[in-house]
Amino acid sequence: MSELTFNQVDQTVLNSLKPPGKSYWALIALLFAGVLMGASCWLYQIFVGVGVAGMNNPVAWGTYLINFVFWVGIAHSGTLISAILHLFRAGWRNPIARAAETMTVFAVCTAGLFPFIHLGRAWMVYFMLPFPNQRNLWPNFQSPLMFDVVAISTYLTVSSLFWYTGMLPDLAIVRDNATGFRKKVFTVLSMGWTGRFEQWRHYTRGYLFFAALATPLVISVHSVVSWDFALGVVPGWHTTIFAPYFVAGAIHSGLAMVITLMIPLRRIFGYQQIITIHVLEAVAKTIVFTGLIVGFAYGTEFFIAWYSHNPLEQYIFAWRPTGDYAVGFWIMAICNTMIPLLYLFKKVRTNIAALFIISLVVNVGMWYERFVIIITSVARDFIPHNWGLFSPSLVEYGIMIGSFSLFFFLFCLFVKHMPAVSMTEVKEMLE
Amino acid sequence: MPTDKRLMGLFKDPDQVIEALKAFKASTWSVVRVHGPIPNHKIAHALDLPKSKVGYFTLAGGIIGFFFGFFFAAYNSIQWELIVSGKPVVALVPFFIVGFEFTILFSVFGNVIGLINVGGLPDYEGLAEYDPRCSGDHYGITVAYAPDSEEELRRFFQERGAEISDFSVRPQTV
Repeated sequence: MSELTFNQVDQTVLNSLKPPGKSYWALIALLFAGVLMGASCWLYQIFVGVGVAGMNNPVAWGTYLINFVFWVGIAHSGTLISAILHLFRAGWRNPIARAAETMTVFAVCTAGLFPFIHLGRAWMVYFMLPFPNQRNLWPNFQSPLMFDVVAISTYLTVSSLFWYTGMLPDLAIVRDNATGFRKKVFTVLSMGWTGRFEQWRHYTRGYLFFAALATPLVISVHSVVSWDFALGVVPGWHTTIFAPYFVAGAIHSGLAMVITLMIPLRRIFGYQQIITIHVLEAVAKTIVFTGLIVGFAYGTEFFIAWYSHNPLEQYIFAWRPTGDYAVGFWIMAICNTMIPLLYLFKKVRTNIAALFIISLVVNVGMWYERFVIIITSVARDFIPHNWGLFSPSLVEYGIMIGSFSLFFFLFCLFVKHMPAVSMTEVKEMLE
Repeated sequence: MPTDKRLMGLFKDPDQVIEALKAFKASTWSVVRVHGPIPNHKIAHALDLPKSKVGYFTLAGGIIGFFFGFFFAAYNSIQWELIVSGKPVVALVPFFIVGFEFTILFSVFGNVIGLINVGGLPDYEGLAEYDPRCSGDHYGITVAYAPDSEEELRRFFQERGAEISDFSVRPQTV
């Protein structure tokens, strides 16, 4: 990395913005087909009713809420990398900060769709908006669901502004190397940025404040998401550990997604000298750390269930690893806590294939974590005659595939048309 | 001696920029602005740039945001005075959370307004006296000079290893 010159950094990133080939457009078409499939399933659900989903009584929160929590979680490591590690002056975050922040914005956009989908009658969303309608119906801000509306909207707005502000100097680099219509577009987008020290003076200060504000926000957002569950008196949900447990889990899954995205990105665009193996190793080490926190949280849940002498809590935690959803539980436990420990070995951390495969495994494990939390608790709550099981319907699978397609579709469009690596921050690292 | 004429010296090494800035302080030429591909504390220090005032906008946004969020939630609750879970109609703890989120949101709005306001963005006119190499790997010092000192200024830059970028006559836009 230190052998790179400023010019080489610019050229490497600018080369990635050259007109794409057929394989790129084929991938975009495939992802767009996935988006269309998801959209069709949602439209079908709107016309027929939310009953086409597998949700039932008692499992009224199904894959839509699982995917909502999953995507909000994915979003979190972007802010960890761009804001928290910026405050800690961790230089290794510079080459991946932009892509991680992009991941945040698109993951929050994807997550934000699920409450609408889950509503069934999506147009009823205005019930959550405070305005004096004919029924004098005002939202109740004592509900964690209303905290969620405020927190997720704030997170999306703040992340988008942070992302765009961070891009200004890079947009100016693209402008200065572009011609014709493209130059005009990037001139507008870069807001006339010229790198005057008068501009840098305000920019660095403003960027620091962005990072300082995004840090408590990111922690609060997933805490609020956890309170959607923890503030209910359902066994398995009603626990004070949920907020830190969710935040750690979110960062765990997000970091895994960062590796999942960075490995193809560096290979396709030739970023190996910028996103070095040292950077990926640093992410892998952080995954070991978050994996240990998540494992500790899993253990604590079981300990508290036993220690509380609450038979309902004890039952649910005995049922999770042995009952109908035991497979999901063990996928969660093994994929999130044991397999990431392989990253302790340098040989694994420096092997690209191993890094990539383990990151995928953690992603799967974290999806199952949300499945286990959300489904098992309501499937076996207080009244045995009200117990029931849940399995997703085809419509839910379609919407889930659609959400993954949408995320990767937006990400692929971004990395080919905008600078996916922050040239300015990489140069700062070289200085 | 400020005039309408401008010349930009382009350096690759920030230390050369700092040396040149020190020399300009002792000269009759006036430095109009300095451009760079990345921020540099030493150059900022050599330019005697004061601390940015963006933070005041951020702070103002945060204070407004907290009170707005808290009282907004309370106002909603008062419209429909329903006691939920035995909590008071104006419940401090839950409304504090709403206040917190709005604090962050409005702080960020204040931050952006501050950047636009004191940072002078957007600044499309600034592109007229700008060299695209400054976003790549060069630092540019733009200097105003009297017509009779042009040769001397060119020599000054060249002696310090700078390339020269010439601008036509433009109004001063410091």
